[in-house]
Amino acid sequence: MILRYILRRLAFLPLTLLLVALATFVVLRLTGNPVDIFLDINRTPEQVEALTKRLHLDLPIPAQFLIFLRDLLHGDFGESLQFSGSAATVVWERAGATFQLAGTALGLAVVLGVTGGIVCAVWRDRAADAVISSIAVAGQSMPSFWLGMLLIEFFALQLHWLPTSGYGDLAHLVLPAITLATILLPNFVLITRTSLLELMGEQFVVTARSKGFSRGRALLTHILPNAVNPVLSFLGIQIGTLMAGSIITETIYAWPGVGRLLINSIFHRDVPVVEAAVFFIATTIALSNLAVDVLQMLIDPRIRRA
Amino acid sequence: MKRRQLIASAASLAPFVVLGQPAFAADKVLTVGAAVFPDTLKPGIGSFASQSLLVQTNEQLVQRDAVGNPQPTLATSWELVEPTTMRFHLRQGVKFTDGVEFTADDVVYTIGYVQDPQNAYGAAARISAVTGATAVDKYTVDIKTKAVFPTLLRAMAEVPILPKHYAEKVGTKGLTDKPMGTGPFIFQEWVPGDHYTLTSNKNYWGGAPKFDKVIIRTIPDGSTRVAALVSGEAQIIEEVPIDLIEQVQASGVAKVDEIATSVGLVLTFDTLIKPFDNPKVREAFDYAIDKPLILKQILKGQGEILDAQLLTKAALGYNPDIKARPFDPAKAKQMLVEAGYDFNTPVPILTQNGKYVSDTDICNAIAGMLNNIGVKATVDAVEGGTFQARANVMKMGALHMIGWYSLGDGDFATVWYTKAGHRTNWYSEDYEKMFTAARSTNDEKERIRLYHEMAALAYKEMPSLFLFGLPSLYGVNKNVTGFGAASDKILHLAKVEFK
Repeated sequence: MILRYILRRLAFLPLTLLLVALATFVVLRLTGNPVDIFLDINRTPEQVEALTKRLHLDLPIPAQFLIFLRDLLHGDFGESLQFSGSAATVVWERAGATFQLAGTALGLAVVLGVTGGIVCAVWRDRAADAVISSIAVAGQSMPSFWLGMLLIEFFALQLHWLPTSGYGDLAHLVLPAITLATILLPNFVLITRTSLLELMGEQFVVTARSKGFSRGRALLTHILPNAVNPVLSFLGIQIGTLMAGSIITETIYAWPGVGRLLINSIFHRDVPVVEAAVFFIATTIALSNLAVDVLQMLIDPRIRRA
Repeated sequence: MKRRQLIASAASLAPFVVLGQPAFAADKVLTVGAAVFPDTLKPGIGSFASQSLLVQTNEQLVQRDAVGNPQPTLATSWELVEPTTMRFHLRQGVKFTDGVEFTADDVVYTIGYVQDPQNAYGAAARISAVTGATAVDKYTVDIKTKAVFPTLLRAMAEVPILPKHYAEKVGTKGLTDKPMGTGPFIFQEWVPGDHYTLTSNKNYWGGAPKFDKVIIRTIPDGSTRVAALVSGEAQIIEEVPIDLIEQVQASGVAKVDEIATSVGLVLTFDTLIKPFDNPKVREAFDYAIDKPLILKQILKGQGEILDAQLLTKAALGYNPDIKARPFDPAKAKQMLVEAGYDFNTPVPILTQNGKYVSDTDICNAIAGMLNNIGVKATVDAVEGGTFQARANVMKMGALHMIGWYSLGDGDFATVWYTKAGHRTNWYSEDYEKMFTAARSTNDEKERIRLYHEMAALAYKEMPSLFLFGLPSLYGVNKNVTGFGAASDKILHLAKVEFK
């Protein structure tokens, strides 16, 4: 049953990716000739000709797209213009850093956000709720580049606990992960809080309590399991936000991930790398969403039946 | 409130921090924070950032000194044996870091590499007149040009010499993956998007560097870069943001090292658009801009005001007799009225954002100053691709901002006002003739005279509003000596010493 669902969803994946590929291709062709932007201002006509040929820009647009698709089927985005090596390899080499950062940030956001949300719901309208909820609202409105600067100032320059930027050991991961997590964390607090409060008023919870369940037991056995799904579906939606947020975070902290690679490649119109990076990000988002949906099915029998 | 929560969450991670201290043993490491980091070590990719990394391992025949004049490097001397042939005498006994001797064959190979269009070599156009190089003997090379080519020597500062034997063994990919040359440093590790590590060349002909390793790290964000300098993580950083100069100076840890670059920042008119075909209108605009105020307030006094010409003061061909026009808004307005200027004409100022120091801020200030005399100026900041697309069809609108490098020689900057430069719609037959004449003689005095005359012509005609010579600002730790900011933004690290 679930397996069939996964297979059906996977069957649609190529269609999603095809649309993404088409959009990337069109946008890259619409925003100026990549040859003019990539080559030095003093380019010679011979260089223009060589690069035009290499990117197949001398062919009609539909033919270019077909060549692009044909190569795509072989997992080949072409050779990067700036790097030595294939665009796919270049992107894949940076993927680890992005997964590390986004994964840690997501973990932090989920764990702290859900915990905070539970505290808020359980002690509703008390001091803890007021404090955490207002922090969450403040956090929602804080731009991450600003937060990043504050964190660097405080933890790296004042306290000397952490490095300002760069990639390496765990210490380097702390500030970027917190900065990126802060984009999502407040929402997790608020979503968890709202869904718990809603559930607390449900009849089956009231019944359990009247049968003598303690608050804690009702929370553990009746409320929390039912609150997992709203949080999960929110998580699914937020993977895209996370990938977008990682571009800014990677820039502030000089983190060598796919986000910065993408921006850089767009500026230089390193067409193969832009295509590969967008494709990579789209695939990540699509697969994460699939994983979330499958998890939801495993958890909630009602979705399975639907 | 926010901060309390964050401190708490960071404190919970603090134990990792202790575990994660870098273990650099006893190596003496110089760390440089780079602003622009190329994505490759491929030779000739074209940007200054890329060249700055390449020359750590691969040296040129001549290198520019801090102010931009060519100095002997792998060539010890040179002379014109014919008007179209320059003979370079090479430094003898220099070895590549794999132990093989550097000879004329390597120079010949390199010229061929630059000229191969497949290599998309950035500096290829700068030696476009070169027909080829031949080895006269082991230590002598003749470079021939199809016509007289006075800028050849300076252009050779753009071309790091590649080792022929190594290139033939490892190919272009090998040259890019692991560069090897005669320079003060040896490739150790390259992590794209993160850092470049090099070890010191203990046998460097110019004297071994006084430290073991250099790590050039990319730190794209300006304030993070300054933070890395102030915290001591980096000893040298590139491009201190103008608004953070005070923070660096006040840190007690580092200082700002400034030098004028050869970039002339100009606002160019599209003279095909009326009424900007009228030189009087263009001149009037020049009077309306308070350049000293912008220099003081936006550029914080760094850089220089261009003397109503494209060339900065240090460049060959700079005309000392021309001075920037004074700020005189009343006169500007009066000139516009006399020229019959229609004050309802929209004057969009096209610029990129962040390409040059404070570019958009400067445009905004200028638009405000033009508004003050009734000109309907607005700022249009666009992304690089859009800017380039419009530049290609030469439809930039009334005014557009661009920074033009002269690299210390009038030829390279003045070309932009010629038909061949393909950058302006303004055209002058006299200017064109003088440009060609200056390019066709090896007589430096005559060249300077011609550039002076071209500057005088441009002063009268004002194809552009000449604004500022941009500064190059490095942040340098106070314990560092022997580092000098360079006008061409190339890192010179071989002579650096630090405690």
